[in-house]
Amino acid sequence: MSAEIRNTSAPRSGENSWLWLVKIVTGPLLIILILVHFIVNHFIGQNGLLTYADVVAYYSNPLIPLMEILFLATVVTHSLSGLRGIILDLKPSRGVLTAVDWLLALVGVAAISYGAWLALVIASRS
Amino acid sequence: MDNKHNLPSPAKFWTWFNPIGRQTGGWAFILNRVTALGLTFYLFLHLVMLGQLAQGPEAYDGFVALMHNPIIIIGELLVVAAGILHGLNGVRIILTTFGVSITRQKQLFYALMAVAVVAILVFGIRMFTA
Repeated sequence: MSAEIRNTSAPRSGENSWLWLVKIVTGPLLIILILVHFIVNHFIGQNGLLTYADVVAYYSNPLIPLMEILFLATVVTHSLSGLRGIILDLKPSRGVLTAVDWLLALVGVAAISYGAWLALVIASRS
Repeated sequence: MDNKHNLPSPAKFWTWFNPIGRQTGGWAFILNRVTALGLTFYLFLHLVMLGQLAQGPEAYDGFVALMHNPIIIIGELLVVAAGILHGLNGVRIILTTFGVSITRQKQLFYALMAVAVVAILVFGIRMFTA
């Protein structure tokens, strides 16, 4: 019987401790960012940002796209490093893990670039 | 004893979701993992959907109007619930990682989940009465 008792969260085998730290640090940061994101999107103005015009007006403040892009980068990093942790539990071979790493990195860079582009496009329309 | 049974393998994927014989920590693990997958899916869905903003006012406002139906609102409530559960479970993991409440993990989990249930109910009521 494996009676391993783990009291604390720790890097998985095959998980670089820095990547584990990224998940641990981005977690609490996301709790704050998601609250801000939520409050802003639902309580600004009458009923929050509901129309295209509301969103464009909101993005006219240059701090907003900056904050949203940082939020996006944080949430994508947390999400994909978490997904990698789940995949690690399936004990992939070295080759598969390398492919997964490249794929996740590519998806992450693509998602952040696309989101940043979208935020800047909206900001430029005000 | 045959040690092979304790090794993870892709074939054991579904055992993650098997609730039989779980202890509280196992439930917390399932909850964190299911919500993680759901939230990751939603994150990318959200990004793709917000692409409508680039198409201009008619496209975006039309899309938002289309999303005003009970089925979508149920889906949104699921996302909110997953976020609350994952976030509060994360608070528990952070606390225990830094040595807080290690001997009271179960109580911490139940307390945070009670908060989650209340928060989800409040959101649910608000979303369906707004």
